[in-house]
Amino acid sequence: MSGPVAGVGRVSFTLIDTIRLGYGYIKRRMDRASINMASIALGISFLSTLLLTDAFYRAHAMVGGARLSVETYQYWLVFVALAVSVVGITNAMLIAVYERYREIGTMKCLGAMDRHILMLFLIESFIQGVVGGVAGYAVGLVAALLSTGFTTGFDIVLKVPAVELLGLFAGSALLSMTLSVAATLYPAYRAAKLNPVEALSYEL
Amino acid sequence: MSFDTIIELEDLARYYEMGGVTIQALDGVDLQIGRGEYLSIVGPSGSGKTTLFNMVGGLDRPSRGKVYIDGVDISKLDAYELAWLRCRKIGYIFQTFNLIQVLTAVENVALPTIFAGVPRDEGLERAEKLLTSVGLGERLHHRPSELSAGQQQRVAIARAMANDPDIILADEPTGNLDLNTGMEIIDILHGLNKTRGMTLIAATHDLKMIKASDRIVWLRDGKIERIERG
Repeated sequence: MSGPVAGVGRVSFTLIDTIRLGYGYIKRRMDRASINMASIALGISFLSTLLLTDAFYRAHAMVGGARLSVETYQYWLVFVALAVSVVGITNAMLIAVYERYREIGTMKCLGAMDRHILMLFLIESFIQGVVGGVAGYAVGLVAALLSTGFTTGFDIVLKVPAVELLGLFAGSALLSMTLSVAATLYPAYRAAKLNPVEALSYEL
Repeated sequence: MSFDTIIELEDLARYYEMGGVTIQALDGVDLQIGRGEYLSIVGPSGSGKTTLFNMVGGLDRPSRGKVYIDGVDISKLDAYELAWLRCRKIGYIFQTFNLIQVLTAVENVALPTIFAGVPRDEGLERAEKLLTSVGLGERLHHRPSELSAGQQQRVAIARAMANDPDIILADEPTGNLDLNTGMEIIDILHGLNKTRGMTLIAATHDLKMIKASDRIVWLRDGKIERIERG
């Protein structure tokens, strides 16, 4: 293609704009967003329950308690749970793209480019990943305490080094964001590549 | 008065392949549209009106021929520039309004200003003024579902105006409205054309819209059948 043509400029859609719009869309489509967030939160809570339980057992052994451990097969179950979350999110996001066909077509008429639509969907999923990850960790912490507290004592949470708890928190959040964004890559690509003419004439 | 061309179509054609059959949606259209002109495009459904709109609006690429806007061959534009054209030069109005359901009236109108790089406060302020000018100053924070059809179309007109475009493309803007509401929309569009010198191109079946226009282009089977003065 040729270089810039006289009198023709370029559109802009900054990261701030994308985040603001994406956040607004999530807030007002809470039903679908909460399904996604619950899905990722479930997987993450399962994972953090096991990791925290393990941390509690190790702390318990350190202070002279019996050495208990989490069974390896349980980690395989976590893997399955997370895979199910990812597939669930991909499915929900694909439906969201179909629901928003016209909206995407309209946005393209108003000046949005493919990459802007892509970014918008990825940002929405990133935000959902953050919320799902934090919620999942919180649920995991409670679940781990409930499952170990009666044998180790509920004050076990204070005996685990804070760095370890924070590290697990950061890891869960990071994993949650990554999985949520990865699950949305294909739906977001589909949305971005939509032909505006087809999108505008689409009847749901 | 001299004729200052804003849009020029040169042997414009668009063919679609559908189940092994080639459909000639547009089949060699030559047309010059003047700056500030109010042009109605009339024809039976399937005559190529919407295809013509999509070409002029840079939403679809021609199979043959050229579209020039302000002397620029739009097939030479890259993706950024084409998006800019849609954003700044052209305002779209649809039969089905196509407002974004989760955004309020003022947010819908401000949306195109985001892509134009206008600061947020300024965009919202501009949107408020535009909505007030189409008589919706009291409905700024309503969602489309809380507005009547006529009000929704007025929001859509305000949105089309948000970046002060040179051209308004209106595809059956009164098609989903009752008679009186349709008249109000026609008055608003006609007013914009006359007071702001905006080039207005409308595909329509509505006799009242046709009567108000400067020129009427009759399309049939993807070709211009005749052009009348309004």
